[in-house]
Amino acid sequence: MRNILVTMCLLLTTLAAQPSYAAESDKPFADERIVLQISDADPSKQTLVLNVASNLVKHYGQDKVDVEIVAFGPGLRLMFKENVNSGRISGLTDSGVKFSACENTIAKMTKLLGEKPELNSNATPVSAGVVRIIDLQNQGFKLIKP
Amino acid sequence: MINKKILIRTVSSALLLTAASTAQSANWLMLQGTEKDGASERARVWGFVQAQYQYDNSDPGPKGYNPPKLIGPNLDDQSQFNVNRARIGIRGTGFPLDPNVNYFILAELGNNGITSGSDGKHLTDASVTLNHIPGARVRMGLFKYPGAEEGLQAIHVFDYINFTTVTNQLLLERFPASTCDGATPLVPCTQTTDGNNGATYAPDADMNQFSRSVGAFRDVGIQVFDTFKAGTWENSYAVMIGNGNGLNYGDNDENKDVYLYLSTENVFGGKGGRREGLKMFAWHQDGKRTKADDRTKTQDRTRSGLGLKYLKRPFRASAEYMQGEGMIFMGQHRPKHMWNDGEASGYYAEAGYYIPGSKWEIDLRYDSYTRDENFRFPTPPPASSAPGDESTFDTTTIGAQYHFNKKTRMNVEYAMRDFKSDTKAIDNNLKGVKDRFAIQVTHIF
Repeated sequence: MRNILVTMCLLLTTLAAQPSYAAESDKPFADERIVLQISDADPSKQTLVLNVASNLVKHYGQDKVDVEIVAFGPGLRLMFKENVNSGRISGLTDSGVKFSACENTIAKMTKLLGEKPELNSNATPVSAGVVRIIDLQNQGFKLIKP
Repeated sequence: MINKKILIRTVSSALLLTAASTAQSANWLMLQGTEKDGASERARVWGFVQAQYQYDNSDPGPKGYNPPKLIGPNLDDQSQFNVNRARIGIRGTGFPLDPNVNYFILAELGNNGITSGSDGKHLTDASVTLNHIPGARVRMGLFKYPGAEEGLQAIHVFDYINFTTVTNQLLLERFPASTCDGATPLVPCTQTTDGNNGATYAPDADMNQFSRSVGAFRDVGIQVFDTFKAGTWENSYAVMIGNGNGLNYGDNDENKDVYLYLSTENVFGGKGGRREGLKMFAWHQDGKRTKADDRTKTQDRTRSGLGLKYLKRPFRASAEYMQGEGMIFMGQHRPKHMWNDGEASGYYAEAGYYIPGSKWEIDLRYDSYTRDENFRFPTPPPASSAPGDESTFDTTTIGAQYHFNKKTRMNVEYAMRDFKSDTKAIDNNLKGVKDRFAIQVTHIF
């Protein structure tokens, strides 16, 4: 009995030490996990990153690909509430694409603007965009910067 | 005549009925007036070049050649190579983090009615748009006033080389030279000698006696505008107040022009200047002009129009009717006669067909313009004009376009003109007006 308990404890500890891959992702059966970075000022990159996300979902299927777009630096403009692409962002969110917004950049922009920029409601603030990308890569996501 | 009060009430109703959410649409008000929310550059350099050749086959009149028979803007010859337009501009959001403020600057370096009186260069647009108030964007500076489609649309995507006569004569405003200070009696700075209708014997005489730039469908002022989406329909409005002095900075009198514009479009798809849809529009312009050589005198100047445009490849069709009263243009050789309370009206109907699987499209346009000849001048009408006299200008234009790529195309057009007048002296000058051939290459960068 004691041996069984010790073995179970060891098993639980081992499982807890693994990267929380399945726990983080709400697409446990995804064949591919992609993080798309947008950090450019060039507005055409906004269209490009959304096109890439859309193409990935179309190719693999909604449940077979896990896509997250992380925006930081000038690229955070994509996540502004009034951005002309907000309709596409809503559509992609419905398809399971996630959007993350760098809080460091938000803080910097708040200082420059004099007020906090309003974000798209589909965007989730993350403490640091670069760190979020590294975390996702550690979880097995592939980084693509269109 | 379009009732201004009805137009105002229609604009107000449209604002109430349509959804409050604004939409970044691809109509000319929005394309030229503002930038894409959150997705514009700090400074985007752009421009276009139009190089052309035109040939006029008209015969000389009894006293030689006059403007309808000569190629503008110089009116020196019946055939001419020209850099008709060469514009360079810069636009964007100067502070990209704030999408609520954008700017638009454009300058003309080509040879046309804008630059022929201004040393070969002229600023055509310089404006700032503030997008802070939902449903009411505010644009200030020098820019295109909201009005007729030929004037409002971007000229570098215009499907023809030359404007219709109705647009050229009724809307493209000319500004007579100002009074020479100190002269007694007051005379225009440019002496006019057009008592004989201005015809000269040789085609090399410069009869363009307007020393200032044409209005180019622009004014300096302030405009409130926006677009509202209701399903597939986009409803737009614009209200503008301007100096009524065209491209000239400052105001030459205390009067201001008021511009009203309303459009509704069922958008089929696409984006940019060639977005597909069915658009209906109406506009009205109301102002006063001060006489160049007697600043105590003012003259009302009103213009109105309504039209529609349909585009769904491979077909395109558009039509517009316009009318006006006061300051009716009477020709480059009769600048003094522009001071009038006459009436004029006209229309055009045109269609295009994009040949599937090719880079070609073919175009056909008919335009007709009628202007009164017997109306109040500063002195009684010329004895040669009788009550009811009219001049009519009918033109059928056959054209074709070849699209080398998305940014480069060639236009070819052949215009068959039938100009005549009930007034004998004018009819004599219009006799012999024949066809005109033009070819133009446009490159946008």
